[in-house]
Amino acid sequence: MAAPRHSISHKILAVKLATTLVALLLALSAMVAYDLRLYYQNWINDVQTQAELVGQMTAPALSFDDARVAGENLALLRYRPRILAAAVYDARGRLFAAYPQPASGFPKLPEGDGARVEGNELIVFKRIVNDREILGTVYVRAEYSLYDRLLGYLGIAGVVTALGMGIALLFSRWVHRVLVRPVLAISQLAAEVTEKRNFALRAEKLTDDEIGLLAESFNAMLAEIQRATRELEASNRQAAGEVAERRRAEEEVLRLNAELETRVAQRTTELQSANAELEAFCYSVSHDLRAPLRSIDGFSQVLLDDFPKDVSGEAQRYLGRIRSSTQRMGQLIEDLLNLSKVSRGELARRDVDVGEIARQVFSDLQQREPGRKVEVSVWDGMQANADPRLLRAALDNLIGNAWKFSAKAEHARVEVGLLRDGTQASFFVRDNGAGFDMRYANKLFGAFQRLHSANEYQGTGIGLATVQRIVHRHGGRIWADATPGKGAVFFFTLAPGSAPETQASKEVAA
Amino acid sequence: MDALTRRILFLALVALSLPALAQDRAAEVQIKAAFLYKFGEFVQWPPATFARADAPFVIGVMGADDVAAALEQVVAERTVQGRPVVVRRLRRGEALTGLHMLFIGREDSARLAETLAAAKGQPLLTVTESDNAIAHGSVINFVAEDQKVRFDIALPPAERGQLKISSRLLAVARRVISI
Repeated sequence: MAAPRHSISHKILAVKLATTLVALLLALSAMVAYDLRLYYQNWINDVQTQAELVGQMTAPALSFDDARVAGENLALLRYRPRILAAAVYDARGRLFAAYPQPASGFPKLPEGDGARVEGNELIVFKRIVNDREILGTVYVRAEYSLYDRLLGYLGIAGVVTALGMGIALLFSRWVHRVLVRPVLAISQLAAEVTEKRNFALRAEKLTDDEIGLLAESFNAMLAEIQRATRELEASNRQAAGEVAERRRAEEEVLRLNAELETRVAQRTTELQSANAELEAFCYSVSHDLRAPLRSIDGFSQVLLDDFPKDVSGEAQRYLGRIRSSTQRMGQLIEDLLNLSKVSRGELARRDVDVGEIARQVFSDLQQREPGRKVEVSVWDGMQANADPRLLRAALDNLIGNAWKFSAKAEHARVEVGLLRDGTQASFFVRDNGAGFDMRYANKLFGAFQRLHSANEYQGTGIGLATVQRIVHRHGGRIWADATPGKGAVFFFTLAPGSAPETQASKEVAA
Repeated sequence: MDALTRRILFLALVALSLPALAQDRAAEVQIKAAFLYKFGEFVQWPPATFARADAPFVIGVMGADDVAAALEQVVAERTVQGRPVVVRRLRRGEALTGLHMLFIGREDSARLAETLAAAKGQPLLTVTESDNAIAHGSVINFVAEDQKVRFDIALPPAERGQLKISSRLLAVARRVISI
């Protein structure tokens, strides 16, 4: 980096030189003026004294009219080369003697006492008086080299000024070297540090003064910056490493997730195909089992109906048992087929009135067993978004169970309602029938699980499994609460978000 | 223009109107009178020669009435060494006492020697205008040179008379005789 265009050193130099110049000029002017004035006065005094001396010396010559002696006296002035000419006039104003010879260029007549400067010459007139008597007049013309002297002085002044300026310049160089250069060095270093971002650079401590201290402070600052930068870089590297690590971990997680999803999809597909095969097998087996059962039942009925005489009473009883067994087996197969059916096919969801379906179920049950008296309560306004066929099947099972297990109760009562818990809406079917031990609650929804003997209550043990499958297919959940002998409540939810509206009103059916 | 100058101018005008010789003599007398007067300034007399502090300076003139007359005019209202000047006309053989300066007009050698012998050894500045006057013991003797009045000075008679002659006067003398 070059020194700035108006650097301090240049300004200092300019000020110093200007000061020196002014001081020199003032001092020299004063000296010259003083000297010239002194020269003028001294020279006039000198010449006047010389004229006086000449007068005194030539006084006898004048008195005794001896121009030769006067001339000789005047000729002595040759030892004063700066006196150019001199003359003595007698009392009558005639030129008496002159120097140098031949006499020419002298005033015709003398003047009174006095001195004056004419160009480069000083002219002095001095009267020779003896005892109040004027003997004559001395005329002296001397060189008056004021201008030469002035020129000489100007020469000296020039030399002195040049010397002074030279010394000032040298001094300024010294100042520059001692004061400005170290500062400039630090400045350049600062620029270099900024430019190259190299904090390892250090300022050279050139002097032992304040600038040296500055250099030291600057170096300390650089060291601090270097340290901080190093730490920052290390921290940055660490952070970058951490970020990379995290990204790698995230990528790993994503990869694992994708793999997992793929695997899940694969497993799901495998499971679905296995399920489908199983259900197809089950359906096929159930369907195929039904034909021989019908034959057994049908032929048993034919035997009973068409050959009452050929079949003994005991045989008839056995045939009856055969029939009931085959009928039960038929029912079982029917239920299995239903279970299989609810697992297959698409869900056809739409908004349905749950209460309406429940009332139809109750109506069918009442028609099947007109002798039963059950207090039915169905809440109004229970809407749901569900497949009506499957919902009907579920309610058939749940309400059918409630109807069935409340058969031995004194005042049978079945209630279908809706509980709200925040956004969660749970439908329930409650009865005051046999109930069950909650210890077996986990076995409720398995197929072929029965908590009561077939003698007490008819059933295949597949109904609740079917209900659970329907609820699950709707994305819901099913659970139960019961007390043996006091009744049971079955809760179920359907897909979240299909929150049904409710109006708390009761309808009592006879 | 002072009185002397005026007088000199007047005398010069008078001289112009005279025949050449008379004119020369008149001018010469004037100059010599003036010189006599001025000699007094360049010579020191022993103090004893003046009776009192204000005693006059006495110039005796012998055998030259025209010079005496001119001198009287010159010294009127003037002083020599701060003293009034008295011009005394002397006849030949008259006593020389009380004189400080004596001018002896042109004389033959015998008479001149006689007068100078009388003055010998006395503090008396003797001025003459005759040839060989120095030889007879005169201190200052006028001579003519290049038509100008000049003078010779003899130091031994002056020393004998205890007179001290200024070197400035010696400087303008034609000749200075030391021995």
